[in-house]
Amino acid sequence: MSNPVIGQRGFAKIPRWLFWSLLTIVLWGTWGLVSKVASAGMDAYVNQLLYTTGLVPLMIFVAWTVRRQHSSEPRRVRAQGIFWAFLTGILGGVGNIFFFEALVKGGKASVVAPVTALFPMITVLLALVFLKERLGRLQWSGLALAFVAIYLLSK
Amino acid sequence: MHLWLSFAVLALVLWGITGVTQKLSTNCISSERSFLWFSWAMIALSGAVLFVAHPHWGLGRLVVLCSIAGGALNGLGAWTSFRALESGGKASIVISLVSLYPLLTVALAVLLLRERLNLAQTFGAITAIAAAILLSMEAQQQPEG
Repeated sequence: MSNPVIGQRGFAKIPRWLFWSLLTIVLWGTWGLVSKVASAGMDAYVNQLLYTTGLVPLMIFVAWTVRRQHSSEPRRVRAQGIFWAFLTGILGGVGNIFFFEALVKGGKASVVAPVTALFPMITVLLALVFLKERLGRLQWSGLALAFVAIYLLSK
Repeated sequence: MHLWLSFAVLALVLWGITGVTQKLSTNCISSERSFLWFSWAMIALSGAVLFVAHPHWGLGRLVVLCSIAGGALNGLGAWTSFRALESGGKASIVISLVSLYPLLTVALAVLLLRERLNLAQTFGAITAIAAAILLSMEAQQQPEG
């Protein structure tokens, strides 16, 4: 692989993409844990408010990196992109509130996290219906397994 | 059906819809700009929550820190996943790999929060992670005609 490697000064040499992927697992995996701890002492709405506060430093960083980018897309296309991004934020935020509510109502982090991680099943179904995307055999198997998983986790 | 499960499924449905809306957005604008507008929407939603929901305050320091850390961890996770894709990782591999994150949540919750899963839930967690990986794999190209 032609990717540069992380390895320097004795670190194991791993491809950059693998390093970033593993870091993502650590960040998202820990998010489930800290959300459960937070849910023990606050309601889902306050949790969402403070969660958004945590997003702000990254937002400033991204805004700083984007400021010199020249957007070449036509105004109408840009407006559509902004609309969908904004809608993603609203749906994602309301989804967060439900996630926090599941934890507040007694759901274990070790159960709620795997259930909510099945969200690609909805994306896949919507893409099938509205975007006319085709599913491979693996994705159909994934869909079937997702229903089995929800049944087992609800026990 | 447990009340917590109903909320978890609602979260799953809404996050699932964002998979499509996010794709529609990044078809039109860059992922960075998409993230910025996504964040503005989160801030707008927080403003609405503040006025509509009358949230209860008076919180412990630990829970406040955990909640703020939650936002930072989730946002950074989204950013590092983009970096993984930009660093040459194949989407099918990177997305399948990061789908393993609930495994870490389960391990941490069992170790640190002393949560216990029964046998069905243990199989359920394993099945869910397998399902998430399979769902994240790109659909194979179907032959025309």
